[in-house]
Amino acid sequence: MRQQLASLLSESRQGYTDIRFEQNRKTRIRFEGPRLTEIADYKTSGGHLRAYEDGGKALASFTDPQEAAGLLASTLSSARLAAKYRGEPLRIAPAPRLEGTFPVSPTADPRTVSLEEKQALLRHYNDLILADPHVATTVSQYEEFYSHRTFVNSEGTSIEYELLIVNIAGFIVTRRDGVVQQVRYAFGGNDEFSKLAGRDDDLRKQISMATALLDAEPAEAGVYPVVLDPSEAGVFIHEAFGHLSEADGIQHNPAFRDRLARGTKLGHPILGVTDDPALLDCPGGYVVDDEGVRGQRTELIREGILTGRLHSRETAAAFDEPLSGNMRAVDSHHTPIVRMSNIFIEPGTSSFDDMVSSIEDGYYLVGAKGGQTTGDQFTFGAQWGYRIRDGHLGEMVRDINMSGELFSTLQALSMVGSDLSFAERGGCGKGMPMQLNAKSGKGAPHVKIDSVTIGGIR
Amino acid sequence: MNDLIQYARQHVDEAEMYWHRTQDTTVRYENQRLQEIRQNRLSAVAVRVIAHGRFGQSFGETPGHTAIVDEAKAASQFGDAAGHRFAEPSAYPTLPETDRSPVEAKSDDLVALCEDVKHEIRSHRPDLTLVIHARASKEHLVIETTEGAQAESETAGLHLAFGAPIQGAGTSVYKSLSATHAFQAPDDLIEEFLTWYGWTERASTPDTGRLPVIFAPEAAFLYVLPLCFGLNGDAVAKETSPVFNRIDEPILSDKLTIFDAPHLPGSPFSRVFDDEAVPCRHRPLVEEGILRGFLLDLQSASRLRRPPTGNGFKRKLFGSGPEVTASPWPCHMQVQAGTEPVEQMIARQSEALLVTGGLGFHSGNYGQGQFAVQAIGFHIRDGHVVGRLEGTMISGNIYADLLDIEALSRETRDASMGMGPAVEAPYVLVESLAVAGR
Repeated sequence: MRQQLASLLSESRQGYTDIRFEQNRKTRIRFEGPRLTEIADYKTSGGHLRAYEDGGKALASFTDPQEAAGLLASTLSSARLAAKYRGEPLRIAPAPRLEGTFPVSPTADPRTVSLEEKQALLRHYNDLILADPHVATTVSQYEEFYSHRTFVNSEGTSIEYELLIVNIAGFIVTRRDGVVQQVRYAFGGNDEFSKLAGRDDDLRKQISMATALLDAEPAEAGVYPVVLDPSEAGVFIHEAFGHLSEADGIQHNPAFRDRLARGTKLGHPILGVTDDPALLDCPGGYVVDDEGVRGQRTELIREGILTGRLHSRETAAAFDEPLSGNMRAVDSHHTPIVRMSNIFIEPGTSSFDDMVSSIEDGYYLVGAKGGQTTGDQFTFGAQWGYRIRDGHLGEMVRDINMSGELFSTLQALSMVGSDLSFAERGGCGKGMPMQLNAKSGKGAPHVKIDSVTIGGIR
Repeated sequence: MNDLIQYARQHVDEAEMYWHRTQDTTVRYENQRLQEIRQNRLSAVAVRVIAHGRFGQSFGETPGHTAIVDEAKAASQFGDAAGHRFAEPSAYPTLPETDRSPVEAKSDDLVALCEDVKHEIRSHRPDLTLVIHARASKEHLVIETTEGAQAESETAGLHLAFGAPIQGAGTSVYKSLSATHAFQAPDDLIEEFLTWYGWTERASTPDTGRLPVIFAPEAAFLYVLPLCFGLNGDAVAKETSPVFNRIDEPILSDKLTIFDAPHLPGSPFSRVFDDEAVPCRHRPLVEEGILRGFLLDLQSASRLRRPPTGNGFKRKLFGSGPEVTASPWPCHMQVQAGTEPVEQMIARQSEALLVTGGLGFHSGNYGQGQFAVQAIGFHIRDGHVVGRLEGTMISGNIYADLLDIEALSRETRDASMGMGPAVEAPYVLVESLAVAGR
C-alpha cells in the first residue's frame, strides 16, 4: 500500500502533497431501555489527500481508491487557484522524515473477543441499571474503533500506524413524580478489553446518584465560587483553555494571537497544564499524528505562564514554534485538524477539604456533562452538585451549568489539589464539518475557582 | 443495489439498503484570505436486515459486495427480536420546482461568491477578521427494501456562511444562507450582519433576575431542540417525554404554531422521504400552542401502534450520516410568523435581551424542556440596543416559559446551518426568562 500511494504522489513534485488511506473496523452495540436497537460489526475504508502548491492549499476525501489519481490532479489545480486569491503564501514547517510501522499492542485485545461476548457484557450492565426501581430507561452503548492507516508524503515519509479504542458508556435515566434526571457512566477509553469487565460497583454508584438526583433541587442562578471535581476540572481545562491552545483556532485571529503570546501570564504560579499523547492508557494516546509527525508531550502552562502550543506543520510555520504532533482526523472523510491529545492540569498541593472550607457560599460541581466554547467564552454542565455554605458541603443540587470567560477564570483559579485523575472516556467535537473524536483525554485534580456564573434554572 | 436486494431476498427475512453519494466542494476564507479548497467524493451504504426474526446491521462503501448483507446477518444472531418491518412501497410527493437552475459544485464560482461577500463587507468594515465558507453539494440517495419500497432523490445545495469574531470578546457574529440554486452575495444579510456587528462595540451585562427575551431566528434551536426531544417518538414510547400524554392539550403559548415542513421550495433541506423510505408530510406539530403530533420513525411508530410520520432520519444532536441509525428527527421545522416588525418589538422594550445564540445547550436537561446557556446576543434598554451581552446566562423550561409569549415578528428567516434541525423562524418575544448576569 505504501508503495502504491508513494507512486501516486510522484506525479506532484513541485509543492507538498500527502495521502492517507484508512481501513477501519467498527463494532457498535446499543441498548435503549431493555431493547437492543443496534448491533453491527463492520469495515469501512477511504482516503484523504492534501496539497500545498504555490502557497495555496487544497484537500480531498474519497471512498474509491480508483478516484485518487484524478482527485490528486484536481486537488493540485485547486491549490493553485487558492494560491491566486490568497496573497500571503501558506508554508509548512520542516518535519523529520519518518518510516516504519507503529502498531497497537493491547494485552486484552478487544478485536479477539466475539460479538456475542461483547453483547452479553453490555446487556449485563444494562440489565443491572434496569433492575433499579427508579430507573425509567437507559442508553447503553459499546463502541470499538480500530483504524489501520497508511500515510505517505512527497518528502519521503512513509508509515503505517494503528489506532484502537474501546469503551462502554451510557445514560441512566431516573424518574419520579414528573422529575426526570440523567447520569452518565463510562468505562474503558483505551485499547484494553479487560478494562470493561467487573465494573458493577462503579455502575451501582452512578445508579445511586441518578436516584438521589430525584430529590435534589435545581441550582440557583448567580455568580459564585466553586470547587470542581477532577472530571469537571478536566472538561474546564479542555474546553476553556485547551481549544485556545490548538493553534489552528487562533492562527487567523490576530487579537487572540496577541493575547496568547508565549510568555503571557495566564494564572497563578500554582497552575500547570500539559498535553501528552504518550499517555497511552488514556483515551487520547497515540504515537504518530495524521501528518506523519510523532506525538510529543507539550507543556502548555507552567507556573501560570503560557509556555507552549499545539501545532500542525502549517501552524508551527505560521507561529514559528516547534512541532508538537497534534494534527488528527477522525476518519478519511475528514481532514486532520489540530487537536488536544490528553490534556491535564498538573497536580498541586491543596486538599479538597481546604477548598470547601474556604468557601462561604458556593457550589461543588461533580461529573462532566459536556461543554462548549467559542473564543474565550465557555459553558459546561455538571451531572450534579452540592451547595457549599459556611465551609461545609450542603444539599445536593441538579440542573447546573457554569459559564465564564477564559482569561478572568484562569486568574480566578486559586487552589489546585494533589489528586490528579483522568476521565476514562474521552471525547471532543471540533471542526466544520464536526469531527467527534473519541481519542481525546482529559485529566485534573480538584480545583477551586473564586468566581463563575452559574446558570441554574431557579 | 438491485443485486444486493435480490441477494438479501434469498438470505434474510427482510432487508433495507441505504446508499448515499456526495460530491461537494467547499471554499474557506479565514481572516479575508482563501485558506483552502476542499472536494469530497464519498459513497456509503447502510444495510439493515431481519434474519430469523432478529435485527442486524452493517455498513460499507458501495452496494457492489454481498458480504455486507452477510455481515448484517451475522450481527443479527446476537440482535433482538425485530419490533417493526421495513418500509413498503409508497407514492412519494414531488417537491415544488423552482425556476432557477440547480447549483454546480465549481470552485471558481464559490471563490467568486466569497470574493463578492468579502469586498462588500470590507467596503464598510475593512477592520474585521472576516471568515467566509461557501459549499456546493450534490447528494444522491437511494433507499430500497425487500418489501418493495424504492425511493431515490438528488439534491443540490449552495450554503454560505460568513462572520467575524467580535473585537475584544470571544464570540462572533455570523450569518448564513442555503438554497438549491445559485445566488449572489446577499445584500440584505450583509446589511444585517453589519448592523449586528456595529452593536457589539460595547459590552453590557444585565442584572440577575427575570427579563423579557427576544429569540432571533438564529437562536431558535434553544426552544426547538427541547421540543424535538419532547416530541421524539422514542421518548414518547418510553414515557420519559414531559408531553408523552399531552396530545391535543396546550403545551406552549397559543401564539405558537410549529410545522414540520419538509417540502419548502428552494430549500436544500427539503425531503420527500425520510431515511427509512417513508414519505415526509407537511403537518402541524404544535397548533396555536396545542400539541398535535409526534415525530415517529418506524421503530417508535411500531411501539406506539401508530403509522410512521416520515421522521426517521440519520441525525442526532451531534453527528449525522449513513453510519448513524435512523431515529426520530424533524425534517424542517417552521415556526409560523406573527405580525409585528422586529424593530418595533425592540423599540418597545424598557429592558430586554435579544438572544442570537447560546453556548452549552447540550449540557442541560433538554429532554425535559430545559435550557441553561451562556447567552450570545444584545442587551436592550429603553428601546435601543446598548451593547453585546457579556457574562450572561439565560435558563428556563420551554413548557413553562414559552407559555407566555408576547409576540412573534412578521419577519422570518431560515436558520438551518446552526445547531439542531433545519428551521425557519421569526423573532419570538418571551415575556420573561431567568437571567444570571451581574
